[in-house]
Amino acid sequence: MLALIRSEWLKIRRSVIWLLLLVSPGLAGLIGLFGVREEQPGGPFPWLIALALMTALHAMLFLPLLTGVYAALVCRYEHAGGGWKQLLSLPVTRTRVYIVKFLFVMGLVALTQLLFLAVLLLIGTAKGGGGAIPWSELLGSVGRGWLACLPLAALQLAVSTAWSSFAAPLAVNVVFTIPNMLVANSADYAPYYPWVQPLLAMMPHQNGYDFGAFTLPSLTLLSVVMGSFVVFFLGGWAYFARKAV
Amino acid sequence: MNEWILETNGLSKQLGGRAVVNQLNLQVKQGDIYGFLGPNGAGKTTTIRMLLGLAKPSVGSIRIFGKDLRKERLSILRKVGSLVEYPSYYGHLNAIDNLETVRRLLDVPRSRISEVLEIVRLTKDAKRAVKGYSLGMKQRLGIATALLGQPDLLILDEPTNGLDPAGIQEIRELIKSMPREHGVTILISSHLLAEIEQMATRVGIITKGQMIFQDSIEALRRQAKPTIRISVSRPEEAWRMLLAKGLPVDWDQTRLTVGEVSDRTVASIVAALVQQDHDVYRVEEERVSLEDIFLEITGGEGSL
Repeated sequence: MLALIRSEWLKIRRSVIWLLLLVSPGLAGLIGLFGVREEQPGGPFPWLIALALMTALHAMLFLPLLTGVYAALVCRYEHAGGGWKQLLSLPVTRTRVYIVKFLFVMGLVALTQLLFLAVLLLIGTAKGGGGAIPWSELLGSVGRGWLACLPLAALQLAVSTAWSSFAAPLAVNVVFTIPNMLVANSADYAPYYPWVQPLLAMMPHQNGYDFGAFTLPSLTLLSVVMGSFVVFFLGGWAYFARKAV
Repeated sequence: MNEWILETNGLSKQLGGRAVVNQLNLQVKQGDIYGFLGPNGAGKTTTIRMLLGLAKPSVGSIRIFGKDLRKERLSILRKVGSLVEYPSYYGHLNAIDNLETVRRLLDVPRSRISEVLEIVRLTKDAKRAVKGYSLGMKQRLGIATALLGQPDLLILDEPTNGLDPAGIQEIRELIKSMPREHGVTILISSHLLAEIEQMATRVGIITKGQMIFQDSIEALRRQAKPTIRISVSRPEEAWRMLLAKGLPVDWDQTRLTVGEVSDRTVASIVAALVQQDHDVYRVEEERVSLEDIFLEITGGEGSL
């Protein structure tokens, strides 16, 4: 397992992935920088408003998109140069290969989340909010956002291993991510929609976002997320284990 | 224990209701260079995929190093080097990093990388991204990858695809030297008999998923014995006369032929013909090439 991780690391180390990591935190940072105003000049920095504002872009659009991109990227160099058949004719089990690929996708999502948090902290401190950082809300939001990406990552990894095209899984991902802004308004459908789950999970409560699916108790969301993650992951793994390469 | 290093038993693969590989019994001995021959689409690559565990057989079993592939896949694959169809590579990495991704999984010393690069003569280009390589260089990198784990069995699927004549020659020499120098057994597939003929010790010929010939290369060559063709003015009459004299001649309504016989017999046939006043136009040797035999065995549909 460790050997596989080290081998995978070598493939990913020299790829374009690192530039992508910066995209979403960067854009969200711009919004935070120019969009957040103190309630009264010289007053405390409104951390939760900044979080809500930046999350609206990051978690609604970029996080689900990037999760799909990461899943496609860790499969791309295998599809492109016939890597699957070389990798799978080495002494490795398919289960481990699949798990390691998934770990890398979630690792990259984690890095994205940490960068997002870093950007938010940077802006807040620069604007004089350094004294009263609401750590539990911020860390909770970033952590829940990561968890909410689990089913999406599992789904996208399954699609990316199945299709040798790089663009097709991404197209699917975009098509399902765009309706997020509509789906989020529906308390009935949103919890079961993997692409909107990161947004629901990351958005801080009681900040004016108390409509649609934003009022759902987090426990409900968590159980749906975990349940669908297990289903998607097992489905993708079962397919990959039987796939003829 | 038996002598086969690789053995399949009734190996079959159904794809879309069609038997792509049908009841294949492949037998490869220690130290063999086994030429796995067949026209395009005969089922060679499908068979090789099954040997490597990349595809599952519909029926039948595979034993490599005397172990069942289904049960001991990992320990078998540790000692098998392979190159399937076209070379696999990570284009954004250089040759050393490409080999390193595999080395980390095989757990062989790092020095093996420079050794195998030396063997396939890629040392000079080792630091360039592989996507800039020519097909021949990628193919050589693929062979280097196959050699990396010091395998006991090398499975090479059409390894000379896309190589120029000099490259083909080079790979051929390399393959021929492997069993001698490292005790490696090699299974090499091709649709070109001429290519296999120069290195294989044993051949298996497959067509439409079925094994139709499997023996030593000498056994195949024996089928290619020369015949003597004689053209005379009145062939049928000549045939009767020669048969009456007890000389071994065949007549198939168009040609008078003699199987592989001594010079002495040929001389007495000619003498008899001349004595009986037949005009002898030609006495010529006709060689059936291995190529012809291959075509004949595979039902003439070999794309050569």
